[in-house]
Amino acid sequence: MSGQMNKPPTRRSFLDLILAVGSLLTTAAVSIPGLMYLWPAAKGGGPAKVEVEGADQMTPGQGKTIQVGSQAVVVVRHRSGFKAYSAVCTHLGCLVTWDSPTKSFLCPCHAAVFDENGKVVSGPPPAPLPEFVVKEIGDKVFVSAA
Amino acid sequence: MMGLVNTVKQFFDDRYDTKLAGELISKQAFKRLPPHTGWLHVLGSLSLLLFISQTITGIMLLIYYRPTPEAAHKSIQYITAEVQFGWLYRQIHAWGASMMIFAVILHMIRTFFMGAYKKPRELTWVTGVILFILTITFGFTGYLLPWNQIAFWATTVGTESASKVPVIGDWLQYFLRGGDAVTGETLSRFFVVHVILLPWALTGVIAVHLFLMRLSNLATLERVGEEAPLKPEHGIPFFPVHVAKEGVVVMMMLAVLVTLSVVSPWEIGEPANALQTPPHIKPEWYFLPSYQLLKYFEGPYGALMGIIGCSVPFVLLLLWPFLDRGKERHPRKRPIAVGLGLFGLLGAMFLGYLGHISETEQTFFGQRYHITLKGWPVPLDDTADAEPPAH
Repeated sequence: MSGQMNKPPTRRSFLDLILAVGSLLTTAAVSIPGLMYLWPAAKGGGPAKVEVEGADQMTPGQGKTIQVGSQAVVVVRHRSGFKAYSAVCTHLGCLVTWDSPTKSFLCPCHAAVFDENGKVVSGPPPAPLPEFVVKEIGDKVFVSAA
Repeated sequence: MMGLVNTVKQFFDDRYDTKLAGELISKQAFKRLPPHTGWLHVLGSLSLLLFISQTITGIMLLIYYRPTPEAAHKSIQYITAEVQFGWLYRQIHAWGASMMIFAVILHMIRTFFMGAYKKPRELTWVTGVILFILTITFGFTGYLLPWNQIAFWATTVGTESASKVPVIGDWLQYFLRGGDAVTGETLSRFFVVHVILLPWALTGVIAVHLFLMRLSNLATLERVGEEAPLKPEHGIPFFPVHVAKEGVVVMMMLAVLVTLSVVSPWEIGEPANALQTPPHIKPEWYFLPSYQLLKYFEGPYGALMGIIGCSVPFVLLLLWPFLDRGKERHPRKRPIAVGLGLFGLLGAMFLGYLGHISETEQTFFGQRYHITLKGWPVPLDDTADAEPPAH
């Protein structure tokens, strides 16, 4: 065995090695750009900071779904001011809706319930709804990711 | 006419070894099948014929279908309302998808209970399970293409499930969707997978599956390693006897497809709206068992456990011929395998039924019940809705 390992390379074995390494390099050269091509190109989606249209017409207890970047967000007007949470249920991605009478977010897919602070009350979601940043400037309301 | 036929024959005879080719073809065409080969053995052919039907109707639909969020739903409406017989091809394609999955499942059930997956046909079974997985993937990717509300949100939930896979989940979801959310990028990806990648993958695996099947011939019910050589006078000729049965099945299949298309057409549905999830969305019947199972896993690792729970049956199916190494094939002599098979089958049907009736009202033995999300029946007080008694 050791004798075989110490054997000096022949012209044929050297060419075999070159062929094997060349095949590997060619495969990599063909497949790496292909895989990179398949990887989604990053897109910004919509603007990361969005003004809530018609915010001044919302009454306390009322909610509205808007889009911030690529995410759906529910903006709710409380007596103390506006709050915004991701509308994407942390269970399997359906969009929650704001239910004014119960002051909670409801998911239509698997009956999850979140309280007005986005915390899980019941159902399968593993985490609360992420909160978004709300800024009130004059009578305008802006929502952006935290 | 005969002169032309003879000229063509002579043309090939002068250039190729047509005698050898003829022998190969007749050997396959007149091959004898085991004497017990009956109507249950046409389920594989039925699956293949449905795939051919899906390919033909799919190509017809492609002529008018536009895979963009703006045009997809409208093009489906156009196919249905404007194109001559467009409604028929769309319906046959939609019903054919369900029927193909149903035929593949029936074919697998027949193979499982007759012990046909045992040595030397383990790889025929494994390629069959791969075909089953590919067929389901066909259903999942094709479901999004009409770009309606149900399709959009079913895909959102389906691809969100992928994010719960350990370590690579988020990357996998991003890759499948072509971004953070289900968008036109997702539609493009699913379109390419549905009309290019899967058809070729399925064709390749079908070729291997058929080659292996013809190589080992159909299994008998005799013990592994004790199969008596098939005497030609006892076997059933593939052509014309078995092929005739397949012909009958093709005609019945077409009759059922057209009848379903006319009697129970698939709705086009509302166009997809990324800012509104419709209430009580449910997946297609073949995903209902997984859909229902996922509901029972809650907490931080609930979705992960659910995914593992939904994957285990497929892994078991793939490995089954290597786990069950008993020599018996007859179902009466394999109580454990048959028991497990029945348990899995009835369990999946029960879960599917619960998924189907969950969040609805049902009447059992004269009592109305609200079926909860998890499938528990809650008795309803009918007196609240009843008319007040007349005085």
